[in-house]
Amino acid sequence: MSASIQRILVVFRKEVLDNLRDRRSLISAAMSTLIGPAILLLLIFILGRTVFNDVRESTIDLPFIGAENAPVLVQYLEQNGIAIVEAPENPEEAVRNGDVDIVISVPESYSEDFSAGRPATVRVIMDSSRQSALANVERVRNLLENFNGQIAALRLMARGINPVVVAPLAIERVDVATPQSQALIFLNMMPYFIVMVVFMGGMYVIIDTTAGERERSSLEPLLINPVARWELVIGKLAASWPFAIFTLFLNLMAFAIAFNAFPLEDYIGFQLSIDVAALGWIFLIALPMIFLASALQMIIATFTRSFKEAQTYVGFLPLIPALPGIGLAFLPIKSSLWAMLIPTFGQQLLINQLMRGENVILANAFISSFVTTALAIILIFAAIKLYERERVLFGTK
Amino acid sequence: MIQVNDLHKSFGTVNALRGVSFVAPDGRITGLLGPNGAGKTTTLRILYTLLKPDSGTASIDRIDIIDHKLQVQKRIGALPDNQGLYPRLTARENIRYFGQLHGLRGKELEENIDRLVSLLEMKDIETRRTEGFSSGQRIKVAIARALVHNPPNILLDEPTNGLDVMSTRAMRTFIRRLRDEGKCVLFSSHVMQEVAALCDHIVILHQGLVVASGTPEELLRSTGKTNLEDAFVAAIGSEEGLLRA
Repeated sequence: MSASIQRILVVFRKEVLDNLRDRRSLISAAMSTLIGPAILLLLIFILGRTVFNDVRESTIDLPFIGAENAPVLVQYLEQNGIAIVEAPENPEEAVRNGDVDIVISVPESYSEDFSAGRPATVRVIMDSSRQSALANVERVRNLLENFNGQIAALRLMARGINPVVVAPLAIERVDVATPQSQALIFLNMMPYFIVMVVFMGGMYVIIDTTAGERERSSLEPLLINPVARWELVIGKLAASWPFAIFTLFLNLMAFAIAFNAFPLEDYIGFQLSIDVAALGWIFLIALPMIFLASALQMIIATFTRSFKEAQTYVGFLPLIPALPGIGLAFLPIKSSLWAMLIPTFGQQLLINQLMRGENVILANAFISSFVTTALAIILIFAAIKLYERERVLFGTK
Repeated sequence: MIQVNDLHKSFGTVNALRGVSFVAPDGRITGLLGPNGAGKTTTLRILYTLLKPDSGTASIDRIDIIDHKLQVQKRIGALPDNQGLYPRLTARENIRYFGQLHGLRGKELEENIDRLVSLLEMKDIETRRTEGFSSGQRIKVAIARALVHNPPNILLDEPTNGLDVMSTRAMRTFIRRLRDEGKCVLFSSHVMQEVAALCDHIVILHQGLVVASGTPEELLRSTGKTNLEDAFVAAIGSEEGLLRA
């Protein structure tokens, strides 16, 4: 057994040294660590400005058709931070194109209806499918409803009726959404970036030591040495782990710097922060995925005949765990036991919880790590079986 | 000593070996001669344990190659058809890697490497990365790493392929030297002159069968020819494959 460990170490040391001298491996590893934090910062800088601008405080421009017909309404709106502006020629078209968020149109009959106490028409032209316009639309509609309520109350009082009788419900809206929870949409992408780094950190080492070994025609002489195939496979797999682990570490550092050092407050109204303990847990939770990723990559790379071919297929791998991750960015799924049974998905949920500062159920973390590690061991076993076949010499045709 | 007894091997519908038997004794150079596709590489791959025969047996120093794979691998040094080096490692690091895989360490390993480096006259390249080596330089490294554990049996698959005249001469001298040290040398070639110049014993393979074997003199006598080339053609029954030599 100790002779086996010695041989595994020989393979491990050689592959680590060999790949440390490979600029391609190192650059790809370094790039993959920075991509996640860079994209996140970029999104925050670009989207933070448009989505999270505080609409309540600013004055908005409201195109108004027939303002002369409704002086009382116009005055009310202007008192509440609305600037009435000239309406575009074709208001429907303008709204549909997104030139303006909302247009109010008041017909000539408004004035007469209003004075006579009949319902006076106010047309609100808006596009409910345009997310960025919704805040302004909502604000204008609220103002219209408030105006409606105030006039109704005045009319009732003029007739000697307490306005309370037409308000059977006193609706109170308690919106618990904070700017934080809205901005967490960004943070929801972080688990996937971490998984991507896990898959990319050791990728080139795996390809180089498997498909690369065959492409250089060095596999045949290597296999003639008195080394069991399982020792070779373990040595080569293990050689990719320091690269992947170091990449993951750098990536978490980059996230920490991005969130804790950049003045994100200027962009999304508050400072994101991740504490070191959470990062440590994220690191530990991601470790089993490194074993899984390397075994999966080795199996695929062993089937291919050239470095390029391996690169193509292995390159697709990180997209698979991305699928649930992308869903996660839009529909928050609660951590539940069944989710923990899905390797890489469970981890993404756990990482998400850690980032939000929520309490992680230890059993969930344990089950997720256990299932992922078990699958990794099965895949490593499969990779060894592949290497024990004669066909490993030639690659699959 | 290498003993091969009735090896059969097929890949799909192709019968690569259809009953190959021969003995390669110690202190002799045995040549596997045959046109391309005769089964030379397949025979050697079975001997260095990369392929399993469908039937038949083979042994190295009376150790069965199938039942005792690791034991056999320790007793052979092989220069296979594929001779790829690690381009980002130096020549010495390439050799050292294989030595370490054989369990050699420290002083013994470094001394073995030193001996091969001077024998193969590669002092000038030993600390250079092997990227961009000439084919002569590459084959020296490949041979050194195959022999770093000082094996008693040496298998060489077309060792002079692609070498220039000077390198080929140096290679022949080196192979004779191994023989004189008492090692069992088995090498394959499709080049008649190569085999004639070097071998004590010739095994002619054709379409997966041994069609003739013996010393050069025995081959001439059995075919009734006056030179080896004619004997070779007579043995395989055609000139096919020779023209590419």
